[in-house]
Amino acid sequence: MASVVFQDVVKMFGTFTAVSDLNLEVRDKEFLVLLGPSGCGKTTTMRMVAGLEEVTAGEIFIGSDRVNDVLPKYRDVAMVFQSYALYPHLSVADNIGYPLKIRKVPQDKQRQMVMEVARRVELDGLLDRLPKQLSGGQRQRVALARAIIRTPKVFLMDEPLSNLDAKLRVQMRAELKHLQHELQVTTIYVTHDQIEAMTLAHRVAVMNKGVIEQLGTPKEIYNDPRTLFVAGFIGSPPMNLIDGEVKDGVFTSLGGVRADGLGSANVASAVLGVRPEDIHVLPAGSETANIVAPIYSVELTGESTLVTLRAGAALLTVRADKNFVGDFDQMVEVGFAPGRVFLFDRQSQDRVDF
Amino acid sequence: MAHRRKSIGIQRIAAYATIAAALVVTLFPVYWIAANSFKYDIDIFSIPPQWIPANPTSKHYHAAFVERPFLIYALNSLIIAVSTTLVSVVFGSLAGYALARFQYPGRWRYQISFWILSTRMMPPIVTIIPLYIAFNHLGMLNTKPAVIIAYTAFNLPFATWMMKSYFQDLPVELEEAAMVDGDTRWGAFLHVALPLARPGLAATAIFCLIISWNEFLLALILTLTERSQTLPIGIAGRVTQYNTYWGEISAAGFTACIPIMIFAFVVQKHLVRGISFGAVKG
Repeated sequence: MASVVFQDVVKMFGTFTAVSDLNLEVRDKEFLVLLGPSGCGKTTTMRMVAGLEEVTAGEIFIGSDRVNDVLPKYRDVAMVFQSYALYPHLSVADNIGYPLKIRKVPQDKQRQMVMEVARRVELDGLLDRLPKQLSGGQRQRVALARAIIRTPKVFLMDEPLSNLDAKLRVQMRAELKHLQHELQVTTIYVTHDQIEAMTLAHRVAVMNKGVIEQLGTPKEIYNDPRTLFVAGFIGSPPMNLIDGEVKDGVFTSLGGVRADGLGSANVASAVLGVRPEDIHVLPAGSETANIVAPIYSVELTGESTLVTLRAGAALLTVRADKNFVGDFDQMVEVGFAPGRVFLFDRQSQDRVDF
Repeated sequence: MAHRRKSIGIQRIAAYATIAAALVVTLFPVYWIAANSFKYDIDIFSIPPQWIPANPTSKHYHAAFVERPFLIYALNSLIIAVSTTLVSVVFGSLAGYALARFQYPGRWRYQISFWILSTRMMPPIVTIIPLYIAFNHLGMLNTKPAVIIAYTAFNLPFATWMMKSYFQDLPVELEEAAMVDGDTRWGAFLHVALPLARPGLAATAIFCLIISWNEFLLALILTLTERSQTLPIGIAGRVTQYNTYWGEISAAGFTACIPIMIFAFVVQKHLVRGISFGAVKG
């Protein structure tokens, strides 16, 4: 059990900067998710903790130990790979017991621990099988069992759920969260799936192009995005981002969106952000409407209806009541929830507070 | 419908005919040697040819292996071929792994690989005189180690390249997982990479064994007596100034085929690829 600290960490591949000037503290027993699109440096960051990539500059600490030049085997971390990386020539039992065998744990103790862990992840009937005789979900469990058989200082998980089908993924997600809570081991989890990040993490670090755009609890990231990238990346369906300009606190877009109450802000190239659930359909003739626009499509998702409006060149998604009825090209008036509108500067990509 | 079925039939016949022709071309010489080795000298040249020995005899085997030192030639061949294969496979695996996995600055991985292979680009005969002089100075002419060293020099580049490509095909995460699980790089190589490269090891071993078992030119120059002479040299020695002993040549030649056939048969199942299936992905 330990914290993981990154101090000014840089990773270059040749002339390409994969991670630049990373400063991050993963607290003891914390479940931290590194979230970002592919190529953002999140996996590289994790591999540097494991010791599979060398650090170009800066320092990494696990607990109080500086681990920059420490071999993976001495770092006391366990890793679950995206591909699971099960040893194909070893049985399930030998796969799970491998970390113990390497550490020369006595045979009978090994067998006992393997049984224990296998029962925990419901693999106890499959110990003699080879990896190729298992389903995807079972392989995932073997990889997990191999990681938790000894209690490492840090768990590293590299998109462990991405190869599972949708239903299994939701189930394993809950199991993972429960497991981490039970074991109380510091966990760094890499994913590009924002729902995984929101549901699993104590804190999320949103990464883009090798830097952390924002670090915070899922709630903070969702309710208080500090940059345009974070605003657009988190949420499903994503936040509506409308280009326009702000003059004396009034936003106008070419598509006919108008919003006031933005303080006294003045931004030449502004982006207005508002989440689909913060837009409400208003009765016809309402004076407070932010836009009146024709319906582009209507999708019933079950618990709500997603209404897409055409606002000039842009599309605006509204999460409406599940009983909403509307036809293509029908004009709809919508209003933004007060205080739930964000303003960004297109140039700097940063939030503009008002 | 009928037309399609007929064309499939013709295709199949053509395929089998081609296979049959290939088999005749490759297997008939082996059969002819085997048949001749059991015939009396007079029957070997009989016209029309005697397809099956009419009066089978083991006299050529007696002549080769009891009266003449072919047993010693065979033992020399065995020692030399097995040693060469062992050394080549061991060092070829290590070098191949290093080339497949380690980081090299710039284009050095390619440069080193190419340099290793380039040593095979000249015909072996070019090296014979320098090798002869070198071994002469070292007092190693007509010794088995000299032949083993020379053969290893020629097998190692291929062994390295074959093993390099096998290791490159293995998913690197498996070794990374082993290292995070507590192995050193060496442990990951020994416990994970090497067992998974077994088909590659088998293929490389067969390759080295066949090359060293059959090699003639270097052995002819570097060996002198039965102390180090190999089977091919012994067999060639039965073409003498006065007579060519076809029966003995056939008997020794056929016997020389057998160990390689057995070995190839044994390791054949390891040659089947796909052992790493199931390692990654769901």
